Amino acid sequence: MKPLFDSGLELVVESDFIYFPLLFDPDIEKEIQTVFHSGENTGQSNEPESKTVIKLEEKYFIKGFRLDALVKNYDVIDPYSYQTMKNECFRRYQLMREVDGMIVDGTLRTILFQVMPHFIKKNKGLKRKKLSDEEILDLVGQKIDIPESYFQEAKTFTDIAPLKEILKNIGNQTGTLELPENGLTSGRKLQDWFRSAVHAKVLADEVERITKSLQVRQQFSRIKPEHIATLLYIADAGALEIDGFGFIRKNADRKEYHVYKHSGDYVLKDYYGRNYLFPDCRVAVSTYMPSKPFVMEKYKHPFLLEYKSGQEICLKHFNPTDEMTTQRIIDTLEEGLTALRYGYDHRRRNGYHSLDKLWVHIPTIDFDDYLI
Amino acid sequence: MDLIGHIKHNRAKQRQKKPIKTDVFNQISAIVRQYGLKESFLDIFDTVGDQFSAENLNLLRIRVKTPVVRSIFSLVAKEEYDFIMSIIHQADTPYLEFAHSPEEILLCKSLYRLNPAISREKLRRYHFETLFLHERVKRNRMETNRK
Repeated sequence: MKPLFDSGLELVVESDFIYFPLLFDPDIEKEIQTVFHSGENTGQSNEPESKTVIKLEEKYFIKGFRLDALVKNYDVIDPYSYQTMKNECFRRYQLMREVDGMIVDGTLRTILFQVMPHFIKKNKGLKRKKLSDEEILDLVGQKIDIPESYFQEAKTFTDIAPLKEILKNIGNQTGTLELPENGLTSGRKLQDWFRSAVHAKVLADEVERITKSLQVRQQFSRIKPEHIATLLYIADAGALEIDGFGFIRKNADRKEYHVYKHSGDYVLKDYYGRNYLFPDCRVAVSTYMPSKPFVMEKYKHPFLLEYKSGQEICLKHFNPTDEMTTQRIIDTLEEGLTALRYGYDHRRRNGYHSLDKLWVHIPTIDFDDYLI
Repeated sequence: MDLIGHIKHNRAKQRQKKPIKTDVFNQISAIVRQYGLKESFLDIFDTVGDQFSAENLNLLRIRVKTPVVRSIFSLVAKEEYDFIMSIIHQADTPYLEFAHSPEEILLCKSLYRLNPAISREKLRRYHFETLFLHERVKRNRMETNRK
C-alpha cells in the first residue's frame, strides 16, 4: 500500500470505498461519455455501491476496494508491512518490552530473584544472608553499566495514563472503525488514517495483553525507576552475568533459559599424584527441560564423553525430573560443579576417561596438555 | 474442401498468433513517455512547416528510425490523455501511427502533404526526414522536367 499512498495521487473516499483516478484510452473515454450522458452513472442512485465511476471537480474516479476490508485483512494482504506497523504500534505504547511478561514469566523471576541470590552473596561475615529482590536489582545496577536510554524508557513505562486511554478508546470503539470523510483526499492523509486504523486494530486484538500490562505497570509504579530501568535492560538483553553466575535466553517463546555458573580453574590429581590444571568452564542447566547439568564450552574432562561443547556431565546418582523448581536448578548446578571439581577419584579412575594414559591402544581423550 | 476440413481450417486460422495491431494512441503515448514530452511540444507544430520548407534540400543524411518501447495497451491519466489526443488531432494523418520520435510526429503532416501514398512498408522502415527529403527532391525534379 505504501507506493499507493506515497504516489501523491488524488484519491476519493465515498461510501466506505476508495476511488482511484480513472486512467484513459480512447475506448474508455467513449465508454465514460456514453455512461455519463445516458445518466446510467449520475450518482443519483440511492445505492452508493452501484457507482463504479464518479465525477468530482471534472475528474473521474473509479471504484477500488472497501477501506474497512483493507484494514481488516491487511495482515494477510501484506504480512511484512503489517508486522512492521504492529511493531511500530507496540513501540509507540511501550508494549514491546518483556518486562510486562516478566511478572507473569515465572522462569525469569525464579532465576533472577531466587536462584541468583543463592550463588551471589553480597553480605559477608555474621551478617551473611540472602539478597532481597531490591538488593538484587541494586547489585545488577552497580555491576552492569546500564545505558541512559533505559532510564528514559523507565519513565515512559511507569506512565500508565496512555494505556488507560487506549483501553478506554478500545472500549468506546466497540469494534466499529471510524472511516475517513467522503470526498477528495490525498494519499498522505489516507496513509495517516490507515496507520491509525491498523494501530486501532492491533490494539483491539491485544486488549487482553494491554489489560495485563496495565496491571503489571500498576504494580511497577511502586518500584524505583532505576530498578525498572534494570529490568528493562535485562528483558532486552535476555542475558546477565554477575560474579560468575549468569543466564542466557535461548528461546523467548518457550521461555527457555540456560542458567550457568563458572567453575573457575581447578586442579585434579591422577593415579601417580601428578596435577592437572583444568581451565574455567560454564556448568549450565536448561529451564525448559531440566535434565543433567552440561558444560557450555568445548571442554574435556574425565566425566565428559567427548571433547566438544554442550556435553552432559556424567553423574551416577542423579535423577533428572521434568519439574523446574528453584531448588532443582540450584541442586543441578551444584551437582555439576561438584562433579567436575571433586568427583574424579584418582585411585579408582572413575568416569569415561582416566587422566593418566591407561589404555595405550584404545583411543581416549588425552589430558597431557593440562599437566602441571 | 468438405465441411469438416473447412471447420478445421477455420479453427487453425483462429489459433494462429496475430501480431498486435499498431494503435495511434498507443504509439504516441509510448513516444510521450519515452521522450518526456510536455505541453510546450504542441507550440512547435505551427512553426515546423516553415522550418522544413526553408531547409537545404541538398542536405544528404540518412536518419535511422529509433525503436520505441511500446506497451501492449496504454492507459494514462486524464491530463496526459488530453495531451496525447491534442497531438493526435494536430498531426492527424494516417502516417502518425508509424512515427517513432517527436521529430517524426512533427514531420507527419508535411510528408503526407507531399505524398499521401507512401507504402506502409516504407513508413515503417525509413525515418520520416529521409522520406521527406526524398519526396522533396522527387517533386523538384518533376517540376524542373515540366519546365
